[in-house]
Amino acid sequence: MSAEVLPDTTADTVPRARIVRRILGRYLRHPGLSLGLFVLVLLSFVAIAAPWLAPHGPTEADLMNTLAHPSGEYLLGTDQYGRDILSRLIWGARISLEVALAVVALSLTFGSAIGAIAGYAGGWVERIMMVCNDILLAFPGFLLALALVAARGSSLENVILAVSIAYTPRVAAVMRSVVITIRPRPFIEASRAIGMSSSRVLLRHVLPNALPPVIVVTTVSAATAILAEAGLSFLGLGVQPPTATWGNIISDGQGFITSNPLISLSAGLCIAVTVIALNLLGDGLRDTLDPQMRRYTGERML
Amino acid sequence: MSDGAVLAVRDLRTVFPSESGPVTTVDKVSFSLGAGETLAVVGESGSGKTMTFLSVLRLVPPPGRVIGGEVLFEGADIATLSASAMRSIRGAGIAMVFQDPLTALNPVFTIGDQMLEVIRAHTGMGPRQARVRALEVLERVHIPAPAQRIDDYPHQLSGGMRQRVLIAMAIALRPKVLIADEPTTALDVTVQAQILELLAELRSELGMGMVLITHDLGLVAKYADRVAVMYAGRVVETSPMARGFGQSRHPYTRSLFRSIPRLDLPADQPLTAIAGQPPDLARLPAGCAFEPRCFLGNGREDCRNERPALSPTTSDRHLSACPHWRTLLDAEPGA
Repeated sequence: MSAEVLPDTTADTVPRARIVRRILGRYLRHPGLSLGLFVLVLLSFVAIAAPWLAPHGPTEADLMNTLAHPSGEYLLGTDQYGRDILSRLIWGARISLEVALAVVALSLTFGSAIGAIAGYAGGWVERIMMVCNDILLAFPGFLLALALVAARGSSLENVILAVSIAYTPRVAAVMRSVVITIRPRPFIEASRAIGMSSSRVLLRHVLPNALPPVIVVTTVSAATAILAEAGLSFLGLGVQPPTATWGNIISDGQGFITSNPLISLSAGLCIAVTVIALNLLGDGLRDTLDPQMRRYTGERML
Repeated sequence: MSDGAVLAVRDLRTVFPSESGPVTTVDKVSFSLGAGETLAVVGESGSGKTMTFLSVLRLVPPPGRVIGGEVLFEGADIATLSASAMRSIRGAGIAMVFQDPLTALNPVFTIGDQMLEVIRAHTGMGPRQARVRALEVLERVHIPAPAQRIDDYPHQLSGGMRQRVLIAMAIALRPKVLIADEPTTALDVTVQAQILELLAELRSELGMGMVLITHDLGLVAKYADRVAVMYAGRVVETSPMARGFGQSRHPYTRSLFRSIPRLDLPADQPLTAIAGQPPDLARLPAGCAFEPRCFLGNGREDCRNERPALSPTTSDRHLSACPHWRTLLDAEPGA
């Protein structure tokens, strides 16, 4: 399907624009990565354009048409309050993506910082930071998030905060292990020998080299964050009804799973598709960001 | 000894803790380096050559620690400077070129980015001005078409080119001392000569003191003014290069010189090796560290009991840590 493009060694004869195109091509030719990216871009568009795309308001109840089956008016039917399932799914995408984005931003920032400092500093600083990190890691992520939400009350902010706290240690652990492999490399020693300060070496030389594996982990943790939010909402501990979230919709539909299976199923399908897309993206990035892994595992899988 | 020296080191000691007690990797090392002079530091792997200069720059990797000695840079002791004052010495005062040019550059930035970073951090120049300076130094290390190369990534350059870039970065701030740590071991033989010629040229143009850490005695003979031979963390002999190795006054230096493969001998002749193993730094003998491997005849009482100090031989420019150096001169003229 696609031949491996060898890294170009005679770059000065090739215009930059073509190099950029070639690199982009390498990413886009990866089937898993491009499929995952396509789904996520589509979802983001749907989430952003929700007010214009959704045929009905997310909490707009049509009490004459409760638990309606799919029709021209309600493409996926309605729930027990007569709310349009499709519209609620579209609005729910917003919450899910918002949670995913915020959790990624928070856990990437703090996780990278904690991991990088621990890995670079070494010694007792590393010991103490990593013992604390391991204690947090020892809790199952979802349980930790559950406990935090239970303690702080359920709101969108608290869900994001709780899930971030639960997944930051994972990023930190990965970051630290990558930084440890980079720290002894000669260019780090060389930049110290030439008078760079520790913080500069860390920011300019260690972090950029450590990012690829961390980006992969973060993509996958975005998927877990979406699952966690859906799980919390399903249990009634997440974003509170009547706000439309995919977890809430599954929970609303579970009482009618035999008569109106489409309610829960469609929301479940949304979650599954998003999570799979994020995982494909993560796998794809793993394959393409690491030159040694560039064997297109995704191709065989599909 | 340190009159007018740009870098003078006295009794430098660096230890690493280990399970079998502290290991002294740099043991009371003293040397001095004048402006425009090339000092070669030779010795086998693990003899403390690199560690000595990492100690000078205070870059000893933990858990290692410098526990004593003076490092005088332009007459001022830098062993007691604050961390940030030390940073401004590194690169701008004393620069180091590392062994392996293939890995001493950050793969994710262009060489221009990396050079600009160093120049700007030390001089506070604006990006444009720093770029001009970077192009100048690249030109100076004879990189063809620097304007085209400056935006290349390290992987786009050959090993020799990368070493030139590293040298360019090291001299960009016109340091007074350039430490070249085995600058050519990772390079092809033909490129090696080019790099060393370049270093010699830069040294005389910029009037830098240069330290050439190496285990290639051929290079030493050709490029160094003075040579310091290290064994087991100590300097065992320092001599002006003009005398050549044939005149060396320490049995270790002699053995080292004899173990160079020779092209003028029949190919089936076995190579000469130094008998025995380098000593375990955690369990050094009480006497001379080289005594167990010494060809002068083992078992001399004084060699075993007392560690000989570096002391003048026939001239006070030629020091040896072997009390029996006269025997060496009588034994064989030249090697």
